[in-house]
Amino acid sequence: MRKREKMFSLFLAGMMPVSVLLTGCGGSQQNSGKIEIELVHYKPEAVDVFEQLEEKFNSTHDNIHLTIESPNDAMTILKTRFVREDYPDIIGIGGDINYSYFIDSDILADVSDYPGLTEINSGYVDILEGLEFVPTEGTYGVPYVANAAGILYNREMFKEHGWEIPETWDELMQLCDTIQSEGILPFYFGFKDTWTCLAPWNALAVDLSPSNVCQQVNAGNTTFTNEYRETAEKMLQLLQYGEDGPFAYGYNDACTAFANGESAMYTIGSYAVPQIKSVNPDMDIDSFVMPGSENPDGNTLNSGVDLQFCVTAECENKEAAYEVLDFLLADENVQAYLDDQNAVPCKTGSFHLAPNLDGMKDYIASGNMTDYQDHYYPSEMAVDAQIQTFLIEQDVDAFLAKFDTDWARYNRDIIQMVENYNKQNGNQ
Amino acid sequence: MNEKIKEKVNWPITILLIAGLITVIFPLYMTIVIAFKQPSEMTNSISGILSLPKSWSLANFAEAMRVTDFWRSLFNSVMITGITVVLSLVLHSMIGYAVGRNKAKNKWYNLVYLYIVSGMFVPFAILMMPLVKQTAQMGIANIVGVIICYVVFYMPMNLMLYSGYLTNIPIALEEAARVDGASTWKTYWSIIFPIMKPMHATVAVITALSVWNDVMTPLVIMSGSGLTTLPLAQLAFQTQFGTNYNLAFASYLLALLPILIFYIVCQKQILNGVVNGAVK
Amino acid sequence: MKNANDRQRTFLLMTIPVLILFFAFNTLPLIKGVIYSFTNFRGYGSYNYVGLRNYIDLFQDARVGKSYLFTIKMAIAATIVTNVISLVLALGLNSKIKFKSTLRGLYFVPNILGALVVGYIFNYFFTYIVPALFHTSSILASTTWAWVAIVIVCAWQAIAMNTIIYISGLQTVPEDVYEAGSIDGATGWAQFKHLTFPLIIPFFSINMVLSVKNFLMVFDQIMALTKGGPAQSTESISFLIYNNGMSGGQFGFQSANAVLFFVIIVAFSVAQLTFTGKKEEQL
Repeated sequence: MRKREKMFSLFLAGMMPVSVLLTGCGGSQQNSGKIEIELVHYKPEAVDVFEQLEEKFNSTHDNIHLTIESPNDAMTILKTRFVREDYPDIIGIGGDINYSYFIDSDILADVSDYPGLTEINSGYVDILEGLEFVPTEGTYGVPYVANAAGILYNREMFKEHGWEIPETWDELMQLCDTIQSEGILPFYFGFKDTWTCLAPWNALAVDLSPSNVCQQVNAGNTTFTNEYRETAEKMLQLLQYGEDGPFAYGYNDACTAFANGESAMYTIGSYAVPQIKSVNPDMDIDSFVMPGSENPDGNTLNSGVDLQFCVTAECENKEAAYEVLDFLLADENVQAYLDDQNAVPCKTGSFHLAPNLDGMKDYIASGNMTDYQDHYYPSEMAVDAQIQTFLIEQDVDAFLAKFDTDWARYNRDIIQMVENYNKQNGNQ
Repeated sequence: MNEKIKEKVNWPITILLIAGLITVIFPLYMTIVIAFKQPSEMTNSISGILSLPKSWSLANFAEAMRVTDFWRSLFNSVMITGITVVLSLVLHSMIGYAVGRNKAKNKWYNLVYLYIVSGMFVPFAILMMPLVKQTAQMGIANIVGVIICYVVFYMPMNLMLYSGYLTNIPIALEEAARVDGASTWKTYWSIIFPIMKPMHATVAVITALSVWNDVMTPLVIMSGSGLTTLPLAQLAFQTQFGTNYNLAFASYLLALLPILIFYIVCQKQILNGVVNGAVK
Repeated sequence: MKNANDRQRTFLLMTIPVLILFFAFNTLPLIKGVIYSFTNFRGYGSYNYVGLRNYIDLFQDARVGKSYLFTIKMAIAATIVTNVISLVLALGLNSKIKFKSTLRGLYFVPNILGALVVGYIFNYFFTYIVPALFHTSSILASTTWAWVAIVIVCAWQAIAMNTIIYISGLQTVPEDVYEAGSIDGATGWAQFKHLTFPLIIPFFSINMVLSVKNFLMVFDQIMALTKGGPAQSTESISFLIYNNGMSGGQFGFQSANAVLFFVIIVAFSVAQLTFTGKKEEQL
């Protein structure tokens, strides 16, 4: 039996160096004499294009060595790295509430001195400014690409039946009636996945309520009961034109159904196109802006920053980081990303856009766009689930009342912060 | 036909058990069929998903292996699982023995038992952030930290299993050895540890499985170390706005094979459980 | 005397190092977690102490209350279903059958399949196959019945492990117990009730505790099947703790929730363990 003991200890002794060896190879990527820049972004689906860009950068720059990481579940990874105080130099994240939290936690550096910002579509810079809880001096992110949401439609089917793109809410309702009378399903919803409820919600809300409604509520100027009533009612109207039992089918089911021609339209964003095309690679998809308003001029494109680059406050070499940003923002590199990801550029200039964005081009060019409302919602409030509940129970008043009370509950600290800020600024 | 076998095979039960297999075979069939299909073959109708793939091409598996960097991820997964299982068998059976033999009459051991077992009910979410910080401060935000975490996470359940098993092993066995002059330490390793073989197999299977499939611990503890495990690598198929189920399922099947082999090997141990013979 | 000392020393030697390890990587972080439950911490960055606010909120939050009710209801149902089926299955797989190891191997497969696969297959099963067979609508879309789907999937996955534990328990039952029993005329149900079951009670209590614990902490199956829907009717406690605490900004509040959950679940299990422990002694 001694033998058994020995075998175990031998085994353990044998394992230890191996594990040390394993851990050793992670950190040692020092290229002597070069400045190391580490970029972590949250778009693992874009790993191929980022690998190409990384290689291209390193072969053209002698003084800087760039490492781009495209981890899965990057948000968790970034947050745990922040806990460890192990900050990458540049992070690529979306313009959503996490960005607001990161600014509030003093993790990001002010990049208003970055010259490249002047070439960014100012609409997107403003969208980022709007995401700050309280107005701060400075800019904390460089918008790279955006996505847009509205209604995707089957262009071939529309041509075949001679349907026109609607520009007002009435026209949309009429179109839905026409489509239905021809025996085709107007929409296929994937409302089992709660987040898909937000797509039509956002697209309607930007048409029907002020873009800064959340800040207005935080400041105590208005309530959601006032601002969201029309949006909620129109959501119910849309629901009539979907499949039976929309809460049984998820995002994936809806993408598959739309791809197979089971519905004429789909209320989702441009980001769904790759998933749809994976089912039906030859499908001709175009999109139009959600016509929530009765007045064609009252409509605005629902578009937000999908990927922006932020320099962390801990970055030791801001100049080198800016050089990396310059490289990423070079026209040909932006175009490479657009081609790969079907995205909308945040940079001004003439880029070639994917054909599924044809119906939105004019809005993008003229800068008539408004950020997703849900980028201001705290994720723990689960507005998406609340909208799903509302669509099941169909009680507008109860839904809006709960929205207001929950908002006050989940944003208590932020509302307090806004109050303090307003008080201070009022006193000064 | 079965006359040769000493005891009669219970055919009704065999047949019932085979019939019950449909609950396992059907999902497994779906997994395999989907793993071979192309995304364009996926439709929302029953026939669409249940039908056989158009061709039995291994392309999905090859692509899945490329994306997950299969061999390196497999190596890391095997490494983490293997070391965790070995440490669990040694450490958990030891404390299981000490606690199991004493908790009935000694209050302190009973307290130790309740203390550790209650650790099973700590939600991982509350431990996560403090553990991330702690492992980083201790310089083990890597594979070592992950293994230590696992050894601690599965200690409550394994302690329960071992000490429960010990109640069925007569103390007379040890006393015989003690009369021969062997120390408790020696007695443990020479008599008790081998006797617990069936429980080792159970513990090994349970621990290995949980470790093998776990995503969260390596994700938060090792993030940034550049290492990846099989389940971590599989997250690549689920991006924000789309999931490639065909690749994901192919990759799952690949990840399933090693653990299935491990289970079949361990199952023999449970099957040939010699405990009764030893006790008699 | 020397022998007894050696024995106690060895027991301590076996216990203390492991105990220290456990304290360092379980209790210590738990204490830190408890401290965070008195803050408005987001998980990273700066934070403030907010006193008992999180705990007061906890008792006023309808969503949290609903999640406790749902989780307990679901855990009780799943525990009963799982243990009945796996005990029957274990008895079957332990009897004299053909293809024993193949059958045991196959019945174990549900346990190995990952959440994504299980989620996809069962989503498909409940959304397309069940409605087609019974001409009903999907139970996953029903706020009254979605929890049943969760119970089914949880049981389906958990039965494998519970069966293994029961099988290894059944193997500790010496053959001569049955022989003695059959002389007394004990067969079938009577044999099980009076001979087999009392002997595997330690394994029964392990399985009960494990099932209750696993089902009370249910998370993966919810993420895979319903993500808390429809209409927030299947939000489990762990789902809230993880989703709102880690992905959302409620880390402090959900830490308080986790502390409360922990206290409840420990009280519950200690009661359960002492109960089955007493039963063991009686026999």
